[in-house]
Amino acid sequence: MPTFLALVAITVLPILVTLGISLFYVDLTMPGMTRFAGLENYFELFQDSRFLNSLTVTAKLIFIPVALQIVIGLLLAMVLKEKLPGTGWMRMAFLLPAVIPPAVSGLVWKLFIVPGAGGLSYLGHVIGVDLSLDLLSMPGSALTLVIVTSVWVGTPFVALLMLSALESLGEEQYEAARIDGASWFQAHWHISLPEIRPVILTVAVFRILEALAIFPIIFVLTGGGPAGATEPINYYAYVNGFEYLRVDYAATIIFFFFVVMMGICSPFLINIARRESREEAR
Amino acid sequence: MLRTREKIFCYVVAFAFILFLLAPIVWLLSTSFKGQLDIFADPPRLIATVTLDNYREVLGDRDFMHSFLNSILVSSGTVILSMILALPAAYGLSRLRSKTKVGLLSWVLLVRAAPGMIYVIPYFMAFNELGLMDTKTGLILINTVFTAPLAIWILISFFDGVPAEIEEAAFVDGATRWQTFTRVALPMAAPGIASAAILVFIFSWNEFLFALTMTRFESKTAAVAILNYMGYEGTEWGKIAAAGILILLPVAIFAIGIRKYFVQTSAGGVKG
Repeated sequence: MPTFLALVAITVLPILVTLGISLFYVDLTMPGMTRFAGLENYFELFQDSRFLNSLTVTAKLIFIPVALQIVIGLLLAMVLKEKLPGTGWMRMAFLLPAVIPPAVSGLVWKLFIVPGAGGLSYLGHVIGVDLSLDLLSMPGSALTLVIVTSVWVGTPFVALLMLSALESLGEEQYEAARIDGASWFQAHWHISLPEIRPVILTVAVFRILEALAIFPIIFVLTGGGPAGATEPINYYAYVNGFEYLRVDYAATIIFFFFVVMMGICSPFLINIARRESREEAR
Repeated sequence: MLRTREKIFCYVVAFAFILFLLAPIVWLLSTSFKGQLDIFADPPRLIATVTLDNYREVLGDRDFMHSFLNSILVSSGTVILSMILALPAAYGLSRLRSKTKVGLLSWVLLVRAAPGMIYVIPYFMAFNELGLMDTKTGLILINTVFTAPLAIWILISFFDGVPAEIEEAAFVDGATRWQTFTRVALPMAAPGIASAAILVFIFSWNEFLFALTMTRFESKTAAVAILNYMGYEGTEWGKIAAAGILILLPVAIFAIGIRKYFVQTSAGGVKG
């Protein structure tokens, strides 16, 4: 129990310390110049156009990949559940993107799209289309590439979660619908999916919370560029803290983000915690 | 059970996705066996003359191998520390009843939900003061902050699976609480402990943000050091590919080893 309380302390205290830092002026290059700033760092936030841009990028990098992950993941789970001959090994392949270090995933995709040397150029050569484009130099294509990588990393795992949810369902209703003439897709749409709705919602909340864990991918792939097109809020906080050495402002940015995310997600989280502990009690 | 048209649709979906999934990895693998000239051959080829030069150079690169060793030490250290903290905590909590569990779960969720950057800033300043910057000890500590709650959460469900009757029998035979824990509960929860340990290892092996900000040279891990091959004189793709394969191989093997538990456990709070 004492070790447990200590653990709670070292995990919760830093969040409060970050809040504290955001209320001060801190200059790492001049120790002793720290003074209280009140909410001034927060006022600065809303006049900072680069911050406002990073908010837009954040929204795009959270909601587009998560939506794609859930939709594609569900479809794949439905397909894998059929256990068609020759698809068994795919479940194992699906584990790969989930365990590859994110920094390496970023490099994998960076290599794949190198004009001339990448797999994309090779595929283009095979089908006779010139695909040797510098995708990272244009804002739109760079953002698309980050989204594609994020889908690549997250979807297989979502599919496996959905698959285990689908497999825990009874077959009767599904079979009955099939006998009544429902197509494969209709049977899933009307029978299986409503059943696993809580799981879908839970997975979605976690994917949303963890969507910005693609920091290493962005760091490796685009460095936030071009012109901030792929710079989400946690990346901007990193740039402030570790390139401009403005620790206080970085703390302000990330604490603001934390509060917003908790505001959006905590009702769902509380719900999940309640349901989870009810199940434990049974 | 499926009609032919539906079957075809399923196969098309499955193979289209698997192509998307594996193509970049296959390309990484193929590049790792290519010589410098073949990498930029025009037109590009999937299979060129196979050479082990890239692997030879990476394995002979003292800086990179130093960071590879760091990865092993930091990940193992994180596993050991997390388990020392999490095992007794999880056991104790599993024997408590449900009210504490809501609080516990909220805490695990909170740590998972907090962005990594929110931890980096205070720990960065604290490590500067304490002289833990660029040390393996420091990296192990901050990794553990994240892995211990996850480990506790996974382990609790495995300890819950140890029937209370067996423990009571041990008590009746005169065993102390500690003996019951080490002789009865631990062996029975062994599969869960193994998969929690492997998961902690994978997390720590893959960790990037802390390794990037809390290290300079001495304790840099492989996942960060691989970026050194993206130098000013151009990116050495052959070496990156070989190093990338070396970095992802251990965790891929681990994940496949615990694949039965992997989805269930790494999802943390996510279950139906």
